[in-house]
Amino acid sequence: MTLSKLSLRNAKRQAGDYLVYFVTIVLAAALIYAFNGLIFSKEVQELSQLLKSLPLTIVLASIVVVGIIRWMISYTTNFMLTRRSRELGTYMLIGLESRQVARMFFLENLMVGGAALALGVLLGNLLYQALRAIVLALFGTPYTFSFFFSVKALGLTLLYFALVYLSVQMKSRKRIRGMKIYDLIYYEKQNQGAVIRTSRNRRRIFVLSVILGIAGSILLMVGDLLFGLIGAGCVIAFLYSFFLCFASGVPAFFDRQPARKYRKQNLLIFRTLTAKLASMGILMATIALLFTATLISEGTGMIFRAIFRNRTAQNSCFDMILSGDAQTEVFRDCKQYMDENIPVRDGWQYPVYLSKDDTVTAYLESNMKYHRYYKADTVMRESDYAALRSMLGYDAVTLAPGQYLIHCRPYVAAALTDWDRTLEIGGQALVPAGLRTEIFAQQAYDVNGNGFILVVPDAAAEACVVDHTMYAALTEEPVGAAQQEALYGLQREAYEQNGYSGDMLLYTRSAAEAEVAAMTATTVFPLFYLALVLTMTAAAILTVQQLSETDRYRRQFALLRKLGMDRREMAAALRTQFGIYYAMPAIPPLLIGVPFIVHLAGATEPGIMVGASAPATIVGICLGLFFAVYAVYILLAYTSLKRNVLPE
Amino acid sequence: MLQVRNIEKYYGSKNNVTKALDRVSFDVADGEFIAIMGASGSGKTTLLNCISTIDTVSAGDILLDGVNIAELPSGELARFRRERLGFVFQDFNLLDTLTVEENIGLALALNHSDPNAVRRQVGAVAQKLGIGDILEKFPYQVSGGQKQRAACARAMAAGQSLLLADEPTGALDSRASKNLLEIMSEMNSGMRATILMVTHDSYSASYAGRVMFLKDGRIFNELLRGERTRAVFYHEILDVLAVLGGDVSDVI
Repeated sequence: MTLSKLSLRNAKRQAGDYLVYFVTIVLAAALIYAFNGLIFSKEVQELSQLLKSLPLTIVLASIVVVGIIRWMISYTTNFMLTRRSRELGTYMLIGLESRQVARMFFLENLMVGGAALALGVLLGNLLYQALRAIVLALFGTPYTFSFFFSVKALGLTLLYFALVYLSVQMKSRKRIRGMKIYDLIYYEKQNQGAVIRTSRNRRRIFVLSVILGIAGSILLMVGDLLFGLIGAGCVIAFLYSFFLCFASGVPAFFDRQPARKYRKQNLLIFRTLTAKLASMGILMATIALLFTATLISEGTGMIFRAIFRNRTAQNSCFDMILSGDAQTEVFRDCKQYMDENIPVRDGWQYPVYLSKDDTVTAYLESNMKYHRYYKADTVMRESDYAALRSMLGYDAVTLAPGQYLIHCRPYVAAALTDWDRTLEIGGQALVPAGLRTEIFAQQAYDVNGNGFILVVPDAAAEACVVDHTMYAALTEEPVGAAQQEALYGLQREAYEQNGYSGDMLLYTRSAAEAEVAAMTATTVFPLFYLALVLTMTAAAILTVQQLSETDRYRRQFALLRKLGMDRREMAAALRTQFGIYYAMPAIPPLLIGVPFIVHLAGATEPGIMVGASAPATIVGICLGLFFAVYAVYILLAYTSLKRNVLPE
Repeated sequence: MLQVRNIEKYYGSKNNVTKALDRVSFDVADGEFIAIMGASGSGKTTLLNCISTIDTVSAGDILLDGVNIAELPSGELARFRRERLGFVFQDFNLLDTLTVEENIGLALALNHSDPNAVRRQVGAVAQKLGIGDILEKFPYQVSGGQKQRAACARAMAAGQSLLLADEPTGALDSRASKNLLEIMSEMNSGMRATILMVTHDSYSASYAGRVMFLKDGRIFNELLRGERTRAVFYHEILDVLAVLGGDVSDVI
C-alpha cells in the first residue's frame, strides 16, 4: 500500500461520505463550463452585435462564482480535516511525517476535485446545449443539436478550478504541517466556547443588530448608490451580529428558563441544535448572506427582463414605427427607401395632436402613479384611429357626433372606469364614449400618447396643434439590422438638412426583440447563474454540517429508544430540529430580499410591472426557484439522516 | 532501554495551571512488562503520551537507548515512531478504510519495505496473535478483541521494540481481555517486546512484571512480581490500591 493508493481509497470514501458536497462541485463545474461555452461559442457571438458584452458579464459573474466555490471548498476541506483529526493523528502515530500526511491529503483532494471536474465538464456539455437552446429561442433562431466541445472553455474552467484547489490545498498543507499529534488524537475532547459570553453584551449586540438590519433594509431601498452601499454594509453587520447572538443566546435562554426546557421535545431539539449552533454563528450568517444575495440576484434578474420585454411589448403591435417632427414631409426619404427595400404589407402616416388642456393627464396624475410626458392631453383623428385598428385587425369602432373615446393601457383604464367628463376639444364639447385597451404603441414618448390618447372626430382634432407625426407599418418580413441602420441614417440626415425639431424615433420590432434577447442574455443569465451557485454552495455546506452528525444522532436515538421514546415522537423531534436548522438562515434573507424586490419593481415606470411581471408574481417565482433548489438539499439530508438514524 | 528523568508536565493557562506530572523518574529495562496504575486524573495517560512523543514534557528528559526524544527533529521523530514505538489504544485507532492486513502493514509499507516482505511479516505477526483468518476483513467486520489484537499486531509488525498501551482492555469484555493480556504476555516473553501499559484494572496489571502506582502526578509505589504467581500478585496490587484509596472500581 503506497501513499497514493491510500489517497485514492480515502478520496473514494470522501466522495461517498460527502456526496452532497461532491455533487455540488460537479454541478458548479458543469455550470462554469457551460457558461464558458457561451463565451467561446462563435454561433452565439454571431447572433447579434449586442452580445459583445456577454463574455465580460459572464467572466465577472464567474469570478464571483469561483470565489464562492473556493469558500465552500475551503470550508469543507477544513471541516473534513477537523472531523478526521484522529485519523490523521493515527497516521502520524504510526510514523508518517506531517509532510507525508499533507501530501496524502492533497492527493486525495486533487482526485476528488479532478473527478468532480471531469464529471462536471461532461454534464456541462448537456447544460451548454440547454443554455444554447435558450439563447437561440430568445433570438427566435431554431435550435438544432450540434455537438460542442471547446478547448478554450475547458481551459478556462480548468484554470478556475486549479486556482481554487491550489489555494485551498496550500492552506490545508500549512495547517497539517503545523498540527501537533496530541491535538489531533484528542481533538474530540476539546470544546468550543460561545463567542459572546455575557448576556448583557449579547442583549446589547442583539438590539443593535436588529436596528442595523432595519436601517440597512431601508437604505438599500432609497436607490442612491452611496446609501445603498452603506445599507448593504448594515445588512451584513446585522446578519453576523444577529447570528452570533442567537447562537450563544439559545443555551442561555434555556438555562434561565428551565421549565420551558422540559416541555415536550424541547430539551432534545434545542440541546441538539445548540450543540451545533454555538459554533456555527459565523457560518449561519455567511449562509444567510448568500441566500440574501440569491434572492436579490434572482429578483433583479427578473425585473430587468420584465422591463426590457414589457417596454418594447407596447410597440410590438406594429413591425415598425417612425416618429418625428410635425412636418408631413418628415419621413419622405425613409419612405422612399422602404418602397425600394422593405416590402410593406400595410402602413399609415398620421399626426398626433395636443389638446389645449390637460384634463385627463391631470386627473391621472392625482389619482394614480402616472408620469406626465406631454404638457396637454394627446389627441388622434377618428379616421386615423379607424385605419390603424383595421391594420391591426382590431374590431371597427365608430363614434357618434359629439363623442370621444379614450384608447389607453390597462393600468390607466383601471383609474378611468368611472370617467364621465365632457371635454372641450378643438372647439367642440365632446362626451365620453368608453375605453379601448388593445396594445397600441402607448409606451412613453413620441408614440400614441403616454398611456392614453383621446380619439375625437376629425374636425375637432384638426383644430388642435400637431405634436408629432407618426408612421406605423406592418412589413412582409422582419426589418433587418442593416435596413434599420440605413433608415436611421436617412432619418438623421433629413433632420439635419431640413432643420426638423422634436425627438425622432425609429422602432422596428425585430431590433427591439434582439435587444431584449441580448439584454436578457447579458444581464439575466449571469444573475441567475450567480443565484444558482450561491444557493447550491450554501445549502451544500449546511447539509454537510448536518450529515456529519449522523453517528451522534444514531447513538442518541438508540439511547432514546432504550429510554422508551416512541418512534413517532423521535421522528417528530428530528423533523422539528431539521426544520429549525434549515429555516434559520433562510428567514433573514426573506425579510430583506422580499421588500427589496418589491421596492425595486415599484421603482420602474407605471404599467411595466403588471400581469406576469407583477411584483408579487416575481417574488413568488424567486422564492419558488430558491426553495426548489434548497428543498432538494433539505430532502436529501432528511432522507439520508432518517434512514440512518431511525431505520424502519 | 528507557530512562525517564524528573519529568514534569503542566496544563492550562496562566491563571489555572494543573500539574499532571510531578518529577517522575524511573528506568525501564529491555524486555520488561510494566503496568502503570492510578485513579482517574493521576497522570498515567499523560505519562504514556509523553513517552510516546504524542505530548511534550514541560521539564525533565526521556531517553530511549540514550537518545533524548525531546530533541529529535520532526523527520527523525516520525522515523523513530515508525521503527521503535508501537501503540495500542483503548478504542483501537484502526483506519476504517483499510483491511486488517493493510492496517497492520501500513507502517511497514510506508517504510518502503519490499511488498512481499510486508505480506510475509504481517502474516507471521497475525498468526502469532491468532488473527490470521480475518486479515481480509475491514475493522467494522470484526470483534473488539480481534480489533485490539490487530492493533497489537500493527504495533509490533515493523519490529518495534517498545509497545505503549493505553487501557488496551478498556473496551473489551472479560474473555477478550484475558485473551489479549495472554497475547501481550506472549509478545513480551516470546517476542522480547518491552511493554508499557496504562490501566486502572488490577486484573490487567497482574499480567505485568512490575506495577507502578501514580497518585497526583507522582510515583506513589512500585510492586515487583518476581517469582510470585499472577494470582498472588493480583491480591498484592489490590492491597496497594486499598491504601492508595482509589476508586471503587479499581478495587473490585
